[in-house]
Amino acid sequence: MKITVSINLGGYSFNIDEDAYAELKNYLKNLELHFAGEESSSEILSDIETRMAELFRSKITSYKQVINIDDVQQAISIMGTPEDISDNDGPSARDKFSAPGYHRMYRDPDHRMIGGVCSGMAAYWDIDPLIVRVIFIALALGGGLGVLVYLILYIVIPEAKTTAQKIEMKGNPVNIHNIKDSVKKEFDSVRKNMKF
Amino acid sequence: MDLENTKAQMRKGILEYCILSVLSRSSCYASDIIKELKEAEVIVVEGTLYPLLTRQKNAGLLSYRWEESQQGPPRKYYELTDAGRTYLTDLDKSWKELVDSVNLIRTR
Repeated sequence: MKITVSINLGGYSFNIDEDAYAELKNYLKNLELHFAGEESSSEILSDIETRMAELFRSKITSYKQVINIDDVQQAISIMGTPEDISDNDGPSARDKFSAPGYHRMYRDPDHRMIGGVCSGMAAYWDIDPLIVRVIFIALALGGGLGVLVYLILYIVIPEAKTTAQKIEMKGNPVNIHNIKDSVKKEFDSVRKNMKF
Repeated sequence: MDLENTKAQMRKGILEYCILSVLSRSSCYASDIIKELKEAEVIVVEGTLYPLLTRQKNAGLLSYRWEESQQGPPRKYYELTDAGRTYLTDLDKSWKELVDSVNLIRTR
């Protein structure tokens, strides 16, 4: 037995399996990112959604009332992935939005125990946060210095709030491809936490 | 060199021309345009069509009206504008010139 989600796609109502919904949502999000630079991007997306709804409607019968993941994957292969649709000649478009790979230190709010100072520093150097925490605790026990240093760092190092900042924290270039990956990871982790 | 990539580039170049040609014969829905282009193997994935349709509409070559449908929300019904017809005539000429040029090189 599966959980289904009720969606409004292009003005039509569908029941869709939970995993199919995740895949569809991810696909539409990628398309949105792909067309982000275009004038009338919302109109393009709306037309695509309407067309996908037409494709799904042809799948629904009295015997089959729910859209499943095969239906979604088939619809995606018919419509095309952002790479298939790319009319900006591939790599040059992907680089259009990327900034050079700034490597900045931020506090990491997604992996924090207290303030994200240790996890942020660990992300910057690409080491295990545990190592940084052990160092701080050692400093704290050996005369309280660790606590003071931690507080100063907490005030001075900004929190990585946006997806772009989280990517910069690791020193990766901020481009469509990496933003897409980050958003997908965040979505997957939220989904995992929602399972009962 | 990747043959598929070169073919895809060639198709992309003529897609706008084909869209206008289809509409010059009769006004229709986006799904009808897709059907014809797929049958002629000019497009592979349908998603390619929508950004082009919107761009051509924004450029004043096409217009659409909403057509009510019994089974659901209204759908866009596209037609060529006068500017679109003129543009198509120019494209017809350009296409002929292009074909002639290529044939000249091929058969020399």
